[in-house]
Amino acid sequence: MAQYDLTAKIGAYLDRHMVAPLLEFLLGQEIYPHEDVLTAKYDLLSKTKMIDYTDLIYREIHGIEDENVHEPGFEERRAVVLKKFEELTEKSSEIMDMIQDPVVIQQLKQDKLANIQFLTENYNFKPEMLNSLYDFALCNYATGNYEPAAVMLYHFRILSTDYDQNVSSLWGKLAAEILTQNWDVAYDDLNRLKEMIEQRNFTSHLQALQQRSWLIHWSLFVFFNHPKGRDGIVDLFFQPQYLNTIQTACPWILRYLATAAVVNKKRRNVLKDLIRVIQQESHAYRDPITEFIEALYVNFDFDGAQQKLKECDDVIANDFFLVSLQEDFKENGRLFIFETYCRIHQCIDIKDVSAKLNLNAEDGEKWIVNLIRNARMDAKIDSKTNTVIMGTQQNSIYQQVIERTKALSFRSSLLASNIEKREQELQNRRKGNDGNNKTGGGKKQGGGGGRKPQKEGGDESARAHSSETPSAFARTVGDE
Amino acid sequence: MSRFFRGGESDSDSESEDYSSSSSDEDQKGSGSDDSNSNSSDSSDSSDSDSDADRAPKKGADFFKKGAFSDSDEDSDDDSKKVVKSARDKRFDEMRLAVKGVKNAQKINDWVAIQNEFEKLNKGYAKANAIIQREGVPRFYIRTIIELEDFMKEALTNKDAIKKMNASSSRALNAMKQRLRKHNKQYEADIEKFRATPVDEDASAEEAEILAAAAAKKTPRRHVSDSEESDSDDDDAPAGRDKWVKVSGDEGSDSDAGVKKSSKERRKLAKAAAAEAAGAEAAGDEFQVVGKGGKVFEVKPENLFKKLQEMIEARGKKGTDRQVQMDNLLRILEVASSPYQKVKVLLALIPSRFDSTSTSTGYMGVEVWKNAASELNALFGYLEENTGLCIVETNEEEDEETAAEAKFNNGEDVIIRGSLSSLIDRLDDEFTKSLQHIDPHTLDYISRLRDETSLYGLLVRAQKYFERIESPLAVDQTKMRRIEHLYYKPDLVIQAVEKEVRTLYPTLNETLEQPEELVENLCTSLYNTNVDRVRTRALLCHVYHLALHDKFERARDMLLMSHLQDHVGQTEVFTQILFNRTMVQIGLCAFRAGMVRETANALQEISSSGKVKELLAQGVQIQRFSEKTPEQERLEKQRQLPFHMHINLELLECVYLTSSMLLEIPNMAANAHEPRRKVISKPFRRMLDYNERQIFTGPPENTRDHVMGAAKALAAGEWQRCEELIHAVKIWDLMPKADKIKEMLTHKIKEEGLRTYFFTYSPYYDSIGMTQLASMFDLPVPAVRGIVSRMIINEEIEASIDQPTATVILHRAGASGGEVSRLEHLAGAYSDRVSSLVESNEKLLEARSQHLGLQQAQQQQSSGQRGDRSDNYRGGQHHGGSSRGGKQQGGVSGGGDRRGPGGDRGPRQSGYGDRSGGGDRNANRSGRGGGRGGNQGSRVGR
Repeated sequence: MAQYDLTAKIGAYLDRHMVAPLLEFLLGQEIYPHEDVLTAKYDLLSKTKMIDYTDLIYREIHGIEDENVHEPGFEERRAVVLKKFEELTEKSSEIMDMIQDPVVIQQLKQDKLANIQFLTENYNFKPEMLNSLYDFALCNYATGNYEPAAVMLYHFRILSTDYDQNVSSLWGKLAAEILTQNWDVAYDDLNRLKEMIEQRNFTSHLQALQQRSWLIHWSLFVFFNHPKGRDGIVDLFFQPQYLNTIQTACPWILRYLATAAVVNKKRRNVLKDLIRVIQQESHAYRDPITEFIEALYVNFDFDGAQQKLKECDDVIANDFFLVSLQEDFKENGRLFIFETYCRIHQCIDIKDVSAKLNLNAEDGEKWIVNLIRNARMDAKIDSKTNTVIMGTQQNSIYQQVIERTKALSFRSSLLASNIEKREQELQNRRKGNDGNNKTGGGKKQGGGGGRKPQKEGGDESARAHSSETPSAFARTVGDE
Repeated sequence: MSRFFRGGESDSDSESEDYSSSSSDEDQKGSGSDDSNSNSSDSSDSSDSDSDADRAPKKGADFFKKGAFSDSDEDSDDDSKKVVKSARDKRFDEMRLAVKGVKNAQKINDWVAIQNEFEKLNKGYAKANAIIQREGVPRFYIRTIIELEDFMKEALTNKDAIKKMNASSSRALNAMKQRLRKHNKQYEADIEKFRATPVDEDASAEEAEILAAAAAKKTPRRHVSDSEESDSDDDDAPAGRDKWVKVSGDEGSDSDAGVKKSSKERRKLAKAAAAEAAGAEAAGDEFQVVGKGGKVFEVKPENLFKKLQEMIEARGKKGTDRQVQMDNLLRILEVASSPYQKVKVLLALIPSRFDSTSTSTGYMGVEVWKNAASELNALFGYLEENTGLCIVETNEEEDEETAAEAKFNNGEDVIIRGSLSSLIDRLDDEFTKSLQHIDPHTLDYISRLRDETSLYGLLVRAQKYFERIESPLAVDQTKMRRIEHLYYKPDLVIQAVEKEVRTLYPTLNETLEQPEELVENLCTSLYNTNVDRVRTRALLCHVYHLALHDKFERARDMLLMSHLQDHVGQTEVFTQILFNRTMVQIGLCAFRAGMVRETANALQEISSSGKVKELLAQGVQIQRFSEKTPEQERLEKQRQLPFHMHINLELLECVYLTSSMLLEIPNMAANAHEPRRKVISKPFRRMLDYNERQIFTGPPENTRDHVMGAAKALAAGEWQRCEELIHAVKIWDLMPKADKIKEMLTHKIKEEGLRTYFFTYSPYYDSIGMTQLASMFDLPVPAVRGIVSRMIINEEIEASIDQPTATVILHRAGASGGEVSRLEHLAGAYSDRVSSLVESNEKLLEARSQHLGLQQAQQQQSSGQRGDRSDNYRGGQHHGGSSRGGKQQGGVSGGGDRRGPGGDRGPRQSGYGDRSGGGDRNANRSGRGGGRGGNQGSRVGR
């Protein structure tokens, strides 16, 4: 399974602290030797300031039971970190007191500059204090105190006007929220960060690419844990610039994208794009999940798709992000196969299709019945021959022509009355202008006032219009 | 007289080519030895350096032979049948004629004639002034005036004779006396000198010549250099000397002169020694003395830089003989001893090699090129050995040469100004030029191509050197050149070249890379350069190379990522050509990989343009209606790629047509109702049409015939015949792994044949068994199922598969349950167009109302529409409005109907509009009313 493991690739785009959960997950998966993962984790953490945690792993690797034996250099490093921590605590204590004071918080407003002025006037605030707050937050994050770090960065962002620091504090906050598994806040932060990236004018394409690819990787945490994430991931990743980023920098994200697209029932329209991208990138990246899509939609090889679906199961089970979607994916993958199958076939042998769906005949029948019952398709089961017969939905040319043209007359009349209305409007205006010339501004104002409420109504109805037209039209046709 | 002239001439001739040609013309009539002389002096143009060596041991004979030569030369001097003369000869001949006249007149003591002739002589002198300025006063001229003076003195002393003279004669004598005194003052120095070395009249003619030559050489030289110290004189000196040495050196076989040799030689040497003593300070400038070692002593290490400087300054000046300059530089190079000197001389020598490009052939001679290359190589050798030396293009201050040399000898770093990269560029360009001009089907071309290795080696060396002196720009340029020598070559060749370079320059410690890596590394390192052109070209070369190695995806991605296709139109022509080449190569690569559609896309633009040759710079296509200026044609010729870089155009056409066939035939079958729509490849269609229009089609002869025949077979469902024809195309053998490509093609033909079959014959079936299809097209059943499935999903055919029986059930869209008739098809197409018309109308209105600020009104209107359904009151109100609208519109369209039949179309339309707009029957009726109103309106309109 190791060849499908993406931890190393994804890890390159993540913060050190964020890789820890991935490794933690790997420890439980038995893909790699236990010791190797532990060593990796030790290497990872030894560069952070989480001294105690590192020490714990060190002792685990070396099988040290004794409480008093530590990794080399443990005491010194610990002392250094603690000293730094205390130093920063002291330095930032002032501002911490300030911002934690509910009285102060109540008086803060939207305007950053006004806030700073207010604090400077009333609470002896100095700009340097913000920097120490930032440093303290960073230190907290480095030592693994994510929650306080997030809080501090939140306050920092309220007050700081420095753009670059604002961006990096937002990245920091996102990381902290992810690590504290505060998904709602993380989701908001993610969107904020996305906007910031999109609005920013990067000096080079490379920089933009880098920022986007970071965002893509970080967002995986959020999207696969937040309830809204399933739509969010599809919406975000299928934006052209992100799709390009994936194609250019990190094709392995296609796995997540494909999974998300398969699992998401509402966003079927993206499938075409997905197939295209997967085909284009098939030389750069392939795993059972993309191969499943390819087999099903490019080669229409149902047996192959079935085979791949089985493989997908393993891959997903071993993927940190996807593991929660395992069942969903299986179910939806099956549905995909069956749907496509039905679109092509008019008569299907249940036994055969059950095998394709990786079910036994009885379960298959049940499953199909359920599908039909849920009105997803127009089909009937013929128990005599043990087949499913699809309802044909063929239209004759005659029907097709009617289908295509029946909306036209309505649209034309709409057009006609539009023109007529416009004529009227123009006439009114002309009249109004004439009146103005004679009597001055009074009449014009009246005219304007008369128009205005109408317009509001128009607005509302215009919005509703699009959704209601077809049904209304259908009614008319029925009347005929 | 002419003897002296000859001597003087050979001393200071700067137009040796002219001279030798004219003299050889004369010499044709002379003795055999003359012949050999002229021949060798002609050939000495190219083989100077060789003659240097064999000249050496014969220095003693030189003077003698010179004499012998000019002796015989003299015979022809008076020859009136001379045809070709240089300007110089002409002038001097004129003067000589005048001198003769003076002499004759002296004999008969005719002072009038003397005066006339003397005037003539002076006129000639004035005309030849330019030449004389350059070469000094001709010996014979001085001699004449001296003789004249003596004769006059003699005449004046003889009073009786004067008295006896007639009036005119004595008047002329007096006038002459005045004139001559005045005139001779100008030449006092010369005359004195001449008198100092009086000519022994008794001596043999040859000897007189020699002496005259020796003296004459001295005199004019001094004269000019003393007075002006001009440079031109100094560079003439070696030229003259060279000529001298050359001419005389060739005479080695002349044996009959040997008898007199010893006595003359002795005398000659004495004279030469005297002359040298006389002009001691100027001795360094003079080259007539040849020493024992066989080397030319005049260039000594001490004055080397001075000479070099003179050479450099003379370069490019009018009248400077390039050939001679080159020879002199070569000689200086021999003298140069220290690396610093060598480098300096080489820096002057190599450009002078380039100067000698003859304009007639349009490229540099191969030999000259080779010399230049080896010299450049030597230059790099020195630079590599002496790391203290470095040549930089922009160096503000340069030390005095001698100081610099001293510095160099002390082991300090010395910076020389010079542009190595321009030398390299020039060498490379000349190489390409020569390849452009040599007929590629000759052995010459191949042997010329062999030189590429040495050129490539030079490039590598240069790159190393530039890397050492850290000149990033030059490094990039050189790398680019290196890439351009590599990117189109197959691995084996690159490997061989690289290996060869390593044996040529063992000092080059670069690890031998895989060709692909090599190109990749070179290109990647160029992506950071800030020269746009280099970056673009590096990218294109890289893509080309990747495509050559069947890395289609990477090549495609790189090209797409660069966004080059957007702005390639703004780049220079050479880059555009490279871009075209790259596109073609990508297309070929896609074809090899079996990606038919990608192939067609990549090749489409170039192949359908009709000027493939021009786009790829592989020859000029003769076009019927093209009017090109000669200038354009010349430029186009310059752009041509050397033959070995060409992409096989026939293969290109074959690939393009084959891929077009695989796409177009099913496409045509699918759109049988409207053949003119959705054309994928216009050229293919055109050819197919042409082929079909022919009354009789013979067996296929060329590639095109084969593909056309195959296309027709494919369209008819005969995939086997199609396959046969495609396989019969010979050109596939040019592709690597031709078997695999044929296999791929067979597979594609089967698939597309199946699709075409479906499109063409499905109307005649209710169901088709898949096993039958599989056996028909020799495909496995799952493959057939896959193809059919794809067609169903893509809605190309109306069908579905019946799984238990493994058949394809075809659904009929036609009204009669049969085939879609033409009428039905047209109805469908018509409805499509109508809906698109309405759509565009809507868009137009929207755009207009936005334009007029009437968005409001439109929204209001649509609120009214909605109102119909939501509340009765407003609906009612609206109906009035819309019926009015109907009326109005009816009026409008009625007006429009004046031009055509179907006058009630307008009203009906408006009636419909109301009906569908209205929510209930009531509204309908009122709508109809409106319609009627509209009808009336239309009548009114009429």
